[in-house]
Amino acid sequence: MCNPRFVLGAFAASLLIAGCGGGPPETVPPAPIEPPPGRTPQEIADSIARAQFVRDSIRAAQEAEERAQAQAAAAARMTLQQTVYFDYDESTITAATEAALRAKVEVLRGNPGVRLRMEGHADERGTSEYNIALGNERAESVIQFLTNFGLGGDRFTSVSYGEERPAMQGSNEEAWALNRRVEFVITAGGDSIVGS
Amino acid sequence: MRIYGASAHGLGGARARPGVRRRGVATSVESPRVAPARRALSVAVPVLLACAALPGGLSAQEPEAQIPGVALTLLYENLYIPPFAILPFRTTGETPETGALVHGIVARDLDYSDRFRIVDSLPALWDDQQGVQYGFWDQYGVDWLLTGTVERVAGARFLSVELHDIVTASQRARGRFPLPAPDDPGFRMAVHRVSDEIVLWATGDSGIAATQIAFHMPALGDPGSKEIYIVDSDGANRRRVTWDADLAISPEWSPDGSRLAYTSYKSGVPRIYELELATGTERMIGPDGSGQQHSPAYHPHGGEMVFTLTERQQRVVSYNIRDGCCLRLLAGGHAQNLQPAYSRDGRRLAFVSGRLGSATPQVYTMPSEGGTPELLSPYRYGQGGWFADPDWSPVSNQVVFAGGIVNRRTLGRYHIFIAALDTGDNRLIQLTQEGNNEDPSWAPDGRHIVFVGERSDGSGVYVVDAATGRTRRVVANVKASDTDWSPRLASGGGTRQSPRPGL
Repeated sequence: MCNPRFVLGAFAASLLIAGCGGGPPETVPPAPIEPPPGRTPQEIADSIARAQFVRDSIRAAQEAEERAQAQAAAAARMTLQQTVYFDYDESTITAATEAALRAKVEVLRGNPGVRLRMEGHADERGTSEYNIALGNERAESVIQFLTNFGLGGDRFTSVSYGEERPAMQGSNEEAWALNRRVEFVITAGGDSIVGS
Repeated sequence: MRIYGASAHGLGGARARPGVRRRGVATSVESPRVAPARRALSVAVPVLLACAALPGGLSAQEPEAQIPGVALTLLYENLYIPPFAILPFRTTGETPETGALVHGIVARDLDYSDRFRIVDSLPALWDDQQGVQYGFWDQYGVDWLLTGTVERVAGARFLSVELHDIVTASQRARGRFPLPAPDDPGFRMAVHRVSDEIVLWATGDSGIAATQIAFHMPALGDPGSKEIYIVDSDGANRRRVTWDADLAISPEWSPDGSRLAYTSYKSGVPRIYELELATGTERMIGPDGSGQQHSPAYHPHGGEMVFTLTERQQRVVSYNIRDGCCLRLLAGGHAQNLQPAYSRDGRRLAFVSGRLGSATPQVYTMPSEGGTPELLSPYRYGQGGWFADPDWSPVSNQVVFAGGIVNRRTLGRYHIFIAALDTGDNRLIQLTQEGNNEDPSWAPDGRHIVFVGERSDGSGVYVVDAATGRTRRVVANVKASDTDWSPRLASGGGTRQSPRPGL
């Protein structure tokens, strides 16, 4: 991947010759009809071709950068939205959950406008009202973890769904493990997320 | 159901007629009048039950399930359950099918009262043309006999019933009750109310047939959402009452049975709404604010409610819903506090708190104005165990709740328990033995309890009679939650026809 700034500097003179400074135009300007004195039509055609090449290179580089930025933003968004899981009847942060939350901390630091809603869930075991309490504890435990890294607590809200919104139906360990979770919903700043 | 200690006669069919039964109360009453002595006798039943512990009852549990100092018992009082015969109902101007339909509803109601042993087969030869042959029925071994007639006079229907006391050879009571047409949505409830009157004549306490049970479950046709459903106490007439297309959970009947309070997530934040059953109109009754609102419970006098308010921590609060004011913190602090339930006089609250550690929530009681919580459930340090879902009896100082007395990490089973507050000991009555059981709620008779059971043959809504241990499933094969038993429904009782299509 070539550096777009380098490309820009190397071909700045050619740009001036072609008579189209500033940003790259959206459309190719029409070639001059009257050849200026002292230059052959071939020289003029070469000059135009060089300018065209520069414009294309710059556009490709910029598109690549935009693509990279979009990919980084998508990765950041995915990091923010990644669901974290808990042990049975626990709201403590496991090692896997901690790794996922640390990644979120980095994204949240780079995106101070982003706000999140933590949605706490529980598996079906235990009474339904107690599971609402458990879902709340899990969501609050995640918020506590993030604010311990200096992130403002006012950026986070929580809601508990208890056992009422399972990610997977079923009364087995696989379903239970997937249902003991906190999901993350971006409630503000979602349009301008930047990657790191 | 396992019954320990005393023989279960009356349940089995051996005829036993203790001399103490119903002596001195044989006066025939046209309009029933309950003598105070009889009332006291029937209220005493749950207390007798709580006193019925014998050492043998302790062996009912797995060794690891025992809690030191707590007597856990399945022993049932040696209740005499009188045999009760119901003659086929006669019809006048009405089809025999309608007579049989009404007879079937009444017979099941009386059976479900768990106060009588309904005689399934009548003797081959009986004749009531010359009046009730008391000697014949006495020989046949029944204590009570019911006769009935469904009449249709000038477009109006009536159900006339006569209750005969075979032991004293006299008519106990009779009544004539208006009845809607069989296709009227209020038909079954009208018959249930007659059944409850018959129970009142015979026992001094009204029955609970004319009641309903509310719960939430995945909406039929839309399993991603939870909606509130209600069903008659006998399991008939299940219908949906909310269409939030989100989570509508934890229904709670108003003291007069005309409204349901419940939590809905439809605004994005769980809030408490109140649904007027007759009209289907609803309104938000919880306070404004950002907190999550769960587990509403009406004060017995109405006008006020308690609920769980979550803003970072779960707290028990009260709120004046009549004036929409006066939010008050009753139990807070660092631990979670949730699921408040009023005592029958509204002076105390039972609630759940994690103040002993979040993994072992326990049931506490405290003054309903707030105050020092007292531990009710049988917590012992190091024993594990957790308890939740308290509901205070509407007629006595007993609290029913769900929980596991063993470490939930090892077994994870939970059952329904009753703790009696007035007995001064740690006696605990376990009402379920199989599967997992939660969300208990008392019937208005303070004797029956509805709960959600998860059994090997599926999940459903169950009813247990705390006096006999008799258990039945009233709604099968649904993932129900948060069952709540209505008060006695004097009128229509939420028989609004669904204005919207679908279930």
